[in-house]
Amino acid sequence: MPSKDKGHSSITSTDQQLVLSSLEPEQLAGLKKHLIPRRHLRGLEKVVMWSLRIYLLFMMVVVIYQVLTTLH
Amino acid sequence: MGTGPPSRLSPQAVTQEDVVITHEDVDRAHDRVRVSAARAQRGTFSKFRLLWLLVGPGILVMLGENDGPSMISYAATGARFGIGFFLPFVILTFCMAIVVQEMTMRLGSATHRGHAELIFDRFGPFWGWFSMIDLGIGNFLTLITEFIAIRAGLGFFGVPPWAAVGSALVFLCLAVMMHRYWTWERTLLAIAVFNLIFVPVALLTHPNWHSVGNALVTWRPLPGGLSQDTLIIVLADIGATVTPWMLFFQQSATVDKGLTRKDIHLGRIDTIVGAALAAIAAVATIIATAPLFAHHMTAENFQGAEFAQALQPLIGRFGAALFALGIVEAGMVASVTISISSAYAFGEVARRPHSLNLPVTQGKAFYSVLFLCAATAGAIVLIPGLPLVDVVLLVNVVAVLAMPPALVFLFMLANDREVMGDLVSPRWANILATGVVVFLTLAGLLFGISVIAPNVFAFLGGK
Repeated sequence: MPSKDKGHSSITSTDQQLVLSSLEPEQLAGLKKHLIPRRHLRGLEKVVMWSLRIYLLFMMVVVIYQVLTTLH
Repeated sequence: MGTGPPSRLSPQAVTQEDVVITHEDVDRAHDRVRVSAARAQRGTFSKFRLLWLLVGPGILVMLGENDGPSMISYAATGARFGIGFFLPFVILTFCMAIVVQEMTMRLGSATHRGHAELIFDRFGPFWGWFSMIDLGIGNFLTLITEFIAIRAGLGFFGVPPWAAVGSALVFLCLAVMMHRYWTWERTLLAIAVFNLIFVPVALLTHPNWHSVGNALVTWRPLPGGLSQDTLIIVLADIGATVTPWMLFFQQSATVDKGLTRKDIHLGRIDTIVGAALAAIAAVATIIATAPLFAHHMTAENFQGAEFAQALQPLIGRFGAALFALGIVEAGMVASVTISISSAYAFGEVARRPHSLNLPVTQGKAFYSVLFLCAATAGAIVLIPGLPLVDVVLLVNVVAVLAMPPALVFLFMLANDREVMGDLVSPRWANILATGVVVFLTLAGLLFGISVIAPNVFAFLGGK
C-alpha cells in the first residue's frame, strides 16, 4: 500500500484511492524526488550554448555601459 | 494507478510502496476528477465546462506579462511613436509568445516537471545554475519594476509610496494564502481580466479607426528611422511579451494544475486566448497614449501613471483614473505571478515542496522565497530618486537579451524524444521557434551596436 506523508495524518484511505485513480504516476509529489536521467550535450549543442552564454555576458556589459553613460 | 500512457522517463524501479501521498496530491486529484467528469460528458456545455476547468496558466502568464513595465513601455511607445509601426509589431510579438509558451505547456503536460527541474535533471547543475542565475536576476529586476508601477499608479490617487508598496505586499499575501491552486488561479484570473481596462481608456481618446485599421494593414516604417531610442522601445516592447519568467511560470503552473497529455489541445487554446486578450490590452494602451504623440506632447518627463496625468486633459479625470488603475492592476498581478515563478523554480531545484496546494506549514521554503523576493523588491522601490521609467524600459531590454539562451534550453527539451515521446515539437514549430531565437538575438545585437557605435545608424541613414 502507498504510505501517507508523516505530516498528512488526516489523509484517509478514500483520499489515497482518489489520488491513485485520478493522477498519473509522475504527477505524485513524492515521485518527483526521482531524477530524470542526464543527457549529454553534443558538439554543436555545446557550441550554441556557449555562444549564447558569451552573447548574454557581452550584452550585459553593454547594458551596464549604457546605464553608466546615461547617468553621466 | 493513473490514466495516462507511461513515459519513457517513468521511474520504473519505483514501486507503490515508495509512493507518499500528500495533501498536494489530494487537492490535485479532486481537480482532475472534475476534469474527467466534464470530459466524459457530451454536448456543447460540457465542452465549455472542460475548457473552463483547464484554462488558467496560459491566460495568467500572458496577462501577467502585461505587467507594470510592459504597460509603461506600451504607453511610452504610443506617446513617442504613435501607432503606425508598433500596432502590427506588438501583435507579431504576441504571436512569438504563443509559439514559445505552447512549448512550455506541452513540456509540463507531458513530463509533469517544472522547467527548472527539467533543465537541472537533463543538462546537469552546470547549465542549470546558469539558467537559474538568469531567471533569478531577471525576476528580481522585474519585480522591482512591478512595485515601481504600483507606486506610480497609486501615486495618481495620492497614496504615499510606503502605503502603495505595503498594500501590494498585503495583496500578495492574500493571493497566495488560499492553499489551493484552483482558488488562487480563479481569483487571479478574475483580477487579471481587469488588464482590459485599457480598452475603455483607448475608446475615451476617440481614436481614428481608419488610421488604426490602416496601421494594422500597412505596417508603416519606424517613425524617425532606426536610432538608439527607437531600438530601446522596440526591445522593451519585445520584452513586454516574451521573457524568461514566463517559460518557468507556465510550465510549473501547468504541472501544479495537473494538466496531462490529454489536455494539450485545450492548453493551446488557453495560451492563444491569453495572448489575444493581452494583445488587445497592449494595442489599446498604445492607442490610448497615441494622442500624446499626435499633439506633439513629450512623454519624457512622465513616469509610470504620470502618463495618466498627461492624458487627463484629453480624456478627463475618469479616463486618467482608469489608466492609473490599469497600471496598478498590471503591477499587482505580475508581482504575484513573478514571485511564484521564482518560488516554483527554487522548490524544483532545491527539491523542496513547491505547490500552491501546500499549506504554509508544509511549504515554508516555497512561501518564504516568494515573500522574501517581493518584500526586498518592494523595499528597493522606496529608495528616493530612482529614475523610474529608465529602470522600467531597461528591465524589459534585459529580459529580451536573456531570452535566446533560455529559449535554447526550451527548444532542446521540447525536441527531446526521451522526455517528450511522441509529443516532440513538429517541424513547423521548430522553424518558428528558431525564427524567434534568431530574431531576438539580432534585435539584441542591434541594440549592442547602437550603444557601442551609434554612428553606424547615422551612416545607414537613420538618426
